[in-house]
Amino acid sequence: MSSIVLIFILLGYLGFLFYIAHWAEKKGNIKWTNNSYIFTLSLAVYCTAWTYYGSIGVAANSGLNYLPIYIGPIIIIPAWIIILRKIIRISKINKIASIADFISLRYGNSRFLGAIVTLVCVFGILPYIALQLKAISETFHIVTMTSPNSLVFNDTTTYVAVALALFASYYGTRYVDASEKRKGIVMAVAMESILKLVFFIGIGVYVTFFVFEGFNDIYNQASQLVNFKEKNRIGGITQGINWFFLCMVSLFAIFLLPRQFHMSVVENNREKHLKTAIWLFPLYLLIFNFFVYPIAWGGNVLFKDTPVNADTYSLLIPQLFNNEFLTVMVFLGGFSAAISMIVVSSISLSTMLSNNLLIPYTFLGKLNNQEQITNNKKIVNIRKIGIFSLIITAYFIYRFFALDYNLVSIGLISFVIIAQLAPSFFGAIFWRRGSRLGAIWSILIGFSICMYTLLVPYAIGITNTASTFVNEGLFQIELLKPFQLFGLNYLDPVPHALFWSLLFNTFIYFAVSVSFKGNYRERNYAEMYVDIDKYSTNHENAFVWKGTAYISDIKKVLVRFLGEERTKRALKIFNAKYNVDSNEELADARLVKFAENLLTGHIGTASARILISSVVKEEKVTLPEVLKILEESKENIIINKKLIETSNELKKISSQLKNANENLVAKDKQKDEFLDTVTHELRTPITAIRAASEILHDDDEIPEELKKQFLQNIISESDRLNRLIDKILDLEKFETGKQTINPTLNNLIETIKKSVEPLQHLIKNKNIAIKFDSSAEIICFYDEDRIVQVVTNLISNSIKFCPETNGKITIKCKVEKDFVKTSVIDNGKGINAADFEAIFEKFYQSTNQNIKKPVGSGLGLAICKQIIEHHKGEIWAKESKKGACIVFTLPKKEE
Amino acid sequence: MKKRHQQKLIVLSIGLLIAFNLPILLLFDSSVPFLGFPVIYIYIFSIWIFSVLVSMLVVNRYYE
Repeated sequence: MSSIVLIFILLGYLGFLFYIAHWAEKKGNIKWTNNSYIFTLSLAVYCTAWTYYGSIGVAANSGLNYLPIYIGPIIIIPAWIIILRKIIRISKINKIASIADFISLRYGNSRFLGAIVTLVCVFGILPYIALQLKAISETFHIVTMTSPNSLVFNDTTTYVAVALALFASYYGTRYVDASEKRKGIVMAVAMESILKLVFFIGIGVYVTFFVFEGFNDIYNQASQLVNFKEKNRIGGITQGINWFFLCMVSLFAIFLLPRQFHMSVVENNREKHLKTAIWLFPLYLLIFNFFVYPIAWGGNVLFKDTPVNADTYSLLIPQLFNNEFLTVMVFLGGFSAAISMIVVSSISLSTMLSNNLLIPYTFLGKLNNQEQITNNKKIVNIRKIGIFSLIITAYFIYRFFALDYNLVSIGLISFVIIAQLAPSFFGAIFWRRGSRLGAIWSILIGFSICMYTLLVPYAIGITNTASTFVNEGLFQIELLKPFQLFGLNYLDPVPHALFWSLLFNTFIYFAVSVSFKGNYRERNYAEMYVDIDKYSTNHENAFVWKGTAYISDIKKVLVRFLGEERTKRALKIFNAKYNVDSNEELADARLVKFAENLLTGHIGTASARILISSVVKEEKVTLPEVLKILEESKENIIINKKLIETSNELKKISSQLKNANENLVAKDKQKDEFLDTVTHELRTPITAIRAASEILHDDDEIPEELKKQFLQNIISESDRLNRLIDKILDLEKFETGKQTINPTLNNLIETIKKSVEPLQHLIKNKNIAIKFDSSAEIICFYDEDRIVQVVTNLISNSIKFCPETNGKITIKCKVEKDFVKTSVIDNGKGINAADFEAIFEKFYQSTNQNIKKPVGSGLGLAICKQIIEHHKGEIWAKESKKGACIVFTLPKKEE
Repeated sequence: MKKRHQQKLIVLSIGLLIAFNLPILLLFDSSVPFLGFPVIYIYIFSIWIFSVLVSMLVVNRYYE
């Protein structure tokens, strides 16, 4: 395929990615761009051209060793649920934009440490970007079947690299605030992750099932090759140790690589996206790695007689069978893998370069005296130039240093260099006492050892036999041979360098940290990092600061970077959150921290602190004081929580009390009414009796007949009085619990018959038809006398309210599972639904006495209710088509 | 997610570290074919799938 056509395809592809990124940016926060699957796929920026081409090369040349690079991450990913979550929380709160911010902030917001971390990252990642460019350039030459031109400016791939650099520098600097989410980039990377996986599976399936006849065929043919058996085994203890170190270095890399940190922490929108990433990302890596072995050994079989670079088997195989379409697809997949790494890495490196190195050390003074718009332009330009020059430098590294190495060996050098950050990084989140000096010295020493054992020999050239440095050691001292330092001769160069550098690195980190006291600011951040869960809601409280500061001064600084409007809005939010009066003049610790946070995204943590401390007057706080204040604020948080709990409890209790009080008041009123009614009820018969007796007493000449009539009245009124008093006493006994019932097993039908019997003449008088099926036998558990009382009461009520003609009373018994339900229904005027509960209260009728003349004492139903409840049954009034319906239940058996 | 359930995943991590390294790894160190792959590949990939399934189960059941 000609170069021009391929370049057009590439441009078209870049345009497509551009479009995706642009679309996602414009769409904003919809579920298409902000979901856990996109997040997981964006993590797959881990799979670069190294995975895509390099793994095959390793699998073909030395077998299993391509796997530890993925096994390391697989081992640690389940633990993300604690570790990565913690890192995400810390970063979100502190507006951290890169790993340099993360480490330097923890160790007292140290400018120097930030710069060191940045330099380590640049040294580590530049060769890695070079690796990607090498892959793009070499595969470009394979697809177009051209050979690389020794003159840089005549080589087409130079221009591809320049185009890439422009693309990345334009797209990576859309926001001044580096901690802002870049939805476009994330979406484009996720898209590329899908494409590279699909194309890789495509070539895998093609090789396995079209070129060969399945996995068994590949195995059978490949096993004829020399060294097949040795290469597809670990091989022994030494190789096992090498394998272990490779696992470790990639385990660190998944946290520490600037692009990984950027994707998994800075671009993380929601903590809960981890839920999917924890299982989906390992699955993605698994699928990616599955076809490496078949392609590699298929390639070994096909090219056993021709010397070709095994890294490029995935292109050479379809080319061998003249499958141009698949060749281009595979090339695009590799291109995707490479550019997503290049773009994300260069964005995060340039942020570090600008925020942790260039701005705090050079530009800060100039920025501080200018307007917001010029400032922002300047910051963005620094980053743009940063990204562009990083990619171009990487290209030159590829042209002048890395031409001879295979992809994986370059990548592993990067991993080992980045791993130097591991002790300070993990110490930062788990060990309070880790100090700034410890971190600085450990990284410096670790990095120097890396230089000595890895970078320098590789730059000189490992194949360069003339170099005495590699073969005989520095000053020809045997013990200083870079690949066999101190005589350690059984490890491969990469594990060897990792072992020595990390050994010194870790040891120095711990030793220096415990030997020298850190300052108060370090300890302050240490507490905040390690105990992040306690401070995550009001982290500004965790910042210890003492001194004098004026809000107006701080505001002036903020305006210079955020602009008038955003500053005002931010301060408003702050005031609302902490309930601060907007007329307040003096700033407190919380506002100082808040302002630093606002600036951090723009100019990095170190510069933010420098700027803010230039306008405030800070007093030194001693270490014990910091601890005391933190302890207090922690206690305060706990006390606060407790107070809230107690006040909630109090609220509950007071509402209960209020209810109880209302009840009591109601009861009191009821009692008054009760007394009124009782006196009234008692007085009526007494008045009648008194009147009759008075007449009899005063007048001797009353006719005999009238006399009898009066005496009759006196007797009946006394009876009524008697009954009333009986009922009141009855009720009182029930209510105070003095009354006991003696339930036995009885036939309910018989009892009802017994109750109806004495009322027969009343029923006949009113011409009422009574409907009751008396044939059955229903045994249940009750006190017969009492139930007779209840049924009598209900039926006499019904009789009272039945109409003069066509009166009808129905009694129904229904057996349920544990109880028997009896209903008494009449066709009288019925009960108002609102009164269903009230009718069972004492003297209920007294409340509407004015409207109607009382019929009955008003105690009957109240007594019924007491009786039924003493039987553990229930009684209630029910909706009925016409008339009233009262239902009660009785238990079938003794409980 | 409750601490106890988080710790299930940590235990899985430790288990993987052990399963993927010396000396356990060498117990399966053979290039004899099984389903068309050398046995060591099959061992590594099965542990890998196992870890995917376990972590999926744990997070789906307990992540709040």
